[in-house]
Amino acid sequence: MLDFSILINNLDTYLEGFKNTVLASIIALIGSFIIGVIVAVMRIAPIKPLNWIGSAYVEFIRNIPLLIIAFFFYIGLPSIGVTLSGFVAGTIALAIYTASFIAEAIRAGIQAVPKGQMEAARSSGLTYLQAMRIIILPQAIKIVIPPIGNQFINLVKNSAILGMIAGLDLMYFGDLVSSHTFVTFPVYIFVAMFYLVLTIPLSLGVGYLEKRLARSH
Amino acid sequence: MIRFDTVNKYFGDFHVLKNINLEINKGEVVVVIGPSGSGKSTMLRCINRLETITDGELTVNDLKVNDKKTDINQLRRNIGMVFQHFYLYPHKTVLENITTAPMKVLKQSKEEAEKVARYYLEKVGIPEKADSYPSQLSGGQQQRVAIARGLAMKPEIMLFDEPTSALDPEMIGEVLDVMKALAKEGMTMVVVTHEMGFAREVADRIIFMDHGQILEQGKPADFYANPKEERARLFLSRILNH
Repeated sequence: MLDFSILINNLDTYLEGFKNTVLASIIALIGSFIIGVIVAVMRIAPIKPLNWIGSAYVEFIRNIPLLIIAFFFYIGLPSIGVTLSGFVAGTIALAIYTASFIAEAIRAGIQAVPKGQMEAARSSGLTYLQAMRIIILPQAIKIVIPPIGNQFINLVKNSAILGMIAGLDLMYFGDLVSSHTFVTFPVYIFVAMFYLVLTIPLSLGVGYLEKRLARSH
Repeated sequence: MIRFDTVNKYFGDFHVLKNINLEINKGEVVVVIGPSGSGKSTMLRCINRLETITDGELTVNDLKVNDKKTDINQLRRNIGMVFQHFYLYPHKTVLENITTAPMKVLKQSKEEAEKVARYYLEKVGIPEKADSYPSQLSGGQQQRVAIARGLAMKPEIMLFDEPTSALDPEMIGEVLDVMKALAKEGMTMVVVTHEMGFAREVADRIIFMDHGQILEQGKPADFYANPKEERARLFLSRILNH
């Protein structure tokens, strides 16, 4: 039987970790979305060097384990004089890593919008970026909501990486509780429950958004 | 106003436009006809640089269309374009479809842009559809919105790329009526179409293209009565006798 006293006795510790996981997830989620959009547009812009940079970003970042990217920011950067806290390093790593997947999803979405939409927008005198922002991206977003939703859920779960670099997140404090109480598995069951508190509403939210956008043409 | 001077265009090895020489004057209505794959649409799309030319010179109002120094957005705001498949923005209402470019490109205020948009919606005969979405409109209505969208930029030139080819037969008339009215008001128009009735009634000049060349041009009455080129004769007999 699950011993709830572990949860109750260490509730403050759990909640501290939960708070930081939420914070890291929200920052990384916004950051990864912005970077993802920029990289996606770079990949398809009619300017060759930008295409190369965009492709290099995606191929390089998404093919490296997240943990190593996090290590780079946490223990790599200090060697060139930049010291980041575990929380900051982990959040940046999360954003950069997830952005490579989001960029791919958005690129596919943009390319699924009929070519004539861009032609119509450009022929009316809009610049490429205006056409992208006002005409293409709003249509692409509807197409990419399901895959991006998946990436956001992965992001929340991947934020457990912060626990490896003193990121003060749920995983980190879970480890702490475990080492204080000498209880292992049940501690992590409560950790998992806290993640579910985050990911299930996120999952439902994405589903809701998908339905709503499908209705509005 | 629009001048092609020995313009050539290749798609890879394929020679789509061969030595095109053409001058279109202000207020002129030019209808381009010819078999599919003859380069009509490509020629039209070169005028606002949706396609780039390989060599030769193309000018609109004495501005070189393919010159790097030419501000293409500046040029395009002066050239309206209507597509075969309308390409209305599906996520925007009819009114927003029309006001987007005037607001973003001409920096009109929302009120001003909407006033202009309603004026042109009235003109194309569907003022009541202002707040609908494109998907709620018939094909003919969508194409009329597309024309209003082009006109709202107050362009000097309107390009039409097979504007009725994707429409059900009973909707072709309503679109052609709008185009006829526009022609009578003196708009400079270049129209790629298979609508021979429209060409005969409205065109100042007919241009017949085949295999990337302009084979023949002339006044509609002369052209229809007595096409000089064998291929033009063949094309006309196919399209008129069915």
